[in-house]
Amino acid sequence: MRNLAERLIAYERTQNKITKTKTPPEISVFDRLRPQLATLMGNAGFRAILTRALVLSHEEVPWLRAMHVIADGTLVHVDERQAHGNRRKIAAGNVVLLAQLLGLLAVFIGDDLTLHLVRETWPKLPLNTLYHGKGY
Amino acid sequence: MKKPTDAAKPKLARPLTGKPAKVTIRKMPTGVRGLDEILGGGIPEFSFNVIAGMPGCGKTTLAHQIIFANATAKKPALYFTAVGEPAVKMLRYQQQYSFFDESKLGNAVRFIDLAELALEKDLSHVLDAIGKYVAESNPSVVVVDSFHTIVRNPTTQVGELDVPAFILRLAQLLTSWEATTFLIGSYLDDEIGDNSLFTLADGLIWLWQKTERNSVVRKMQIMKLRGQESVPGLHTIRISNQGVQTFSRTLGLIGNKTKPKLGRRLSTGIPELDAMLGGGIPEGDSLLVAGPSGTGKSALATQFIAEGLRNGEPGIMAIFEERPQAYTHRAGTFGLNLEAPQKKGQLETLYLRPLDLSVDETMQEILDAIQRVGAKRLVIDSLVGFEMALAPGFRADFRESLYRMIGALTGAGITILSTVEVEDTFTALPFSHYAISFLTDDILRMRYVEIDGQIRKVMVVIKMRGGNHSKDIREYVITDKGVTIIHPRQTDYALLSTGLPEPIGQPTEAAPEAKAAK
Repeated sequence: MRNLAERLIAYERTQNKITKTKTPPEISVFDRLRPQLATLMGNAGFRAILTRALVLSHEEVPWLRAMHVIADGTLVHVDERQAHGNRRKIAAGNVVLLAQLLGLLAVFIGDDLTLHLVRETWPKLPLNTLYHGKGY
Repeated sequence: MKKPTDAAKPKLARPLTGKPAKVTIRKMPTGVRGLDEILGGGIPEFSFNVIAGMPGCGKTTLAHQIIFANATAKKPALYFTAVGEPAVKMLRYQQQYSFFDESKLGNAVRFIDLAELALEKDLSHVLDAIGKYVAESNPSVVVVDSFHTIVRNPTTQVGELDVPAFILRLAQLLTSWEATTFLIGSYLDDEIGDNSLFTLADGLIWLWQKTERNSVVRKMQIMKLRGQESVPGLHTIRISNQGVQTFSRTLGLIGNKTKPKLGRRLSTGIPELDAMLGGGIPEGDSLLVAGPSGTGKSALATQFIAEGLRNGEPGIMAIFEERPQAYTHRAGTFGLNLEAPQKKGQLETLYLRPLDLSVDETMQEILDAIQRVGAKRLVIDSLVGFEMALAPGFRADFRESLYRMIGALTGAGITILSTVEVEDTFTALPFSHYAISFLTDDILRMRYVEIDGQIRKVMVVIKMRGGNHSKDIREYVITDKGVTIIHPRQTDYALLSTGLPEPIGQPTEAAPEAKAAK
């Protein structure tokens, strides 16, 4: 699942360059998923699953403990100054978080439907499976 | 000069006088086995319907089947979930059913969660949100699940709209968008009378389930359906991995043509018995073979089917007691090959023994098999086993359903042989303690009698609705050829029907089967 998360973020990076979007790809990837999932499970449902993914990521990425999910489902850093720290570190942490989120979805609705939702969110990204290469 | 084509001719406006043309209401298929027939052809397009019932009856599954059967990317289905099962959980469970088509998700079938809106805002916001999604996607089908949680939720603020106004505006909105609507809700039976939703709805599908002893019985009733004739009464439903299946009370036999009886007689495969029956069983008759265990009822049924196959008449054997292999094996010992016709698709053996079957779904299995092989002969062995295979709650329906099925099948020219086990009392000659004799045209009674220190077997034709028959009580044996009537008739007895006869003919007749050495 981590490989898929990396692919999605990399794809977002390319798209952001094309569209000259300033939002970092590791953030815009969640922005793109949020409405899709919120339509399906409601904002509260999306908040619940993202919060759970966040907790599951804490062990591997301790700095994510400083993140939390606000009412509209967006992720914010408790300390605004730290939010703009090491970009590479933040990107790596978000890969873990996204992988956990997709993993939870797969547990709930299965691999096929999760892949279907991902494809719907990124229709131009060629994907045949949730699992590419190593990682969870 | 060329004649003008039809297309070039000026079209005449329809005259304003005369009988106005009726609107044609298209019927939308439900994708639910048996339901279209119960509804009278399907769900009327653009209708506003309620699917009601207690939790666990299959309301949501039914709605899912309907949307997956009808939704396309161009005319999608919108499934609004409210304060009930969230869509993500629905997807988790509903994907287990065979009708679930993952490729339709997102484009043809769209799930929209309205829970927060229903919890935090008033009904006008819920209506606006539904209106927005409907305007965006122009759906063919709209489902709101669970509707009762929206209108009854104590935290939902009524605001500008009260509940009846909300329901009315929702109906107007969805009908004007040409959407066929299903509102799903848990309602109690006693709410039917005073709920404005049911007054407004065009269709009301009510689902029930109740536990009887160890079995669950599920039923459906079309309580209301505007614009078309549905099949009245309670229909059995079953929820399996194929979703909801319905079994009409009429078994889909409404409108089946009755085949005129041509007077043809079908051989039983036992020439002496054919003679007793006045030339065989009249085609399209129902023959009941009654007798105690071991008298050869199943053997006779096997010979009846085998004789049909020999004459190019496909058959069905619905067996409820013995296993199919035992049946085929016994036929083999009589020199009758039932394996080859089964492989060729001329014979099907249905082994129906689960203990929670409904009578209508069992009959549907039989009817499906009859259609598959084009059967002319049907054996039901036995009616006692058939009744035992039913869930206790369905046993009350047994005689009524059997009556409907036998009537419809014999009307279509199929000849039925049913067996029933009866006790030999040695003082009376009961035909059947099931009081099902009225279902049958003809009755053959087999029984044990004590003669000259042996328990022997006799048979007699009790009734032939279609004509005269032999009144003789005939002794028979079961040999390697099956049931064989002893010929010529050797002995005259009185009181055979009591099981303890007295000889009135030759006192020194030979036993049909060797006696044990003294």
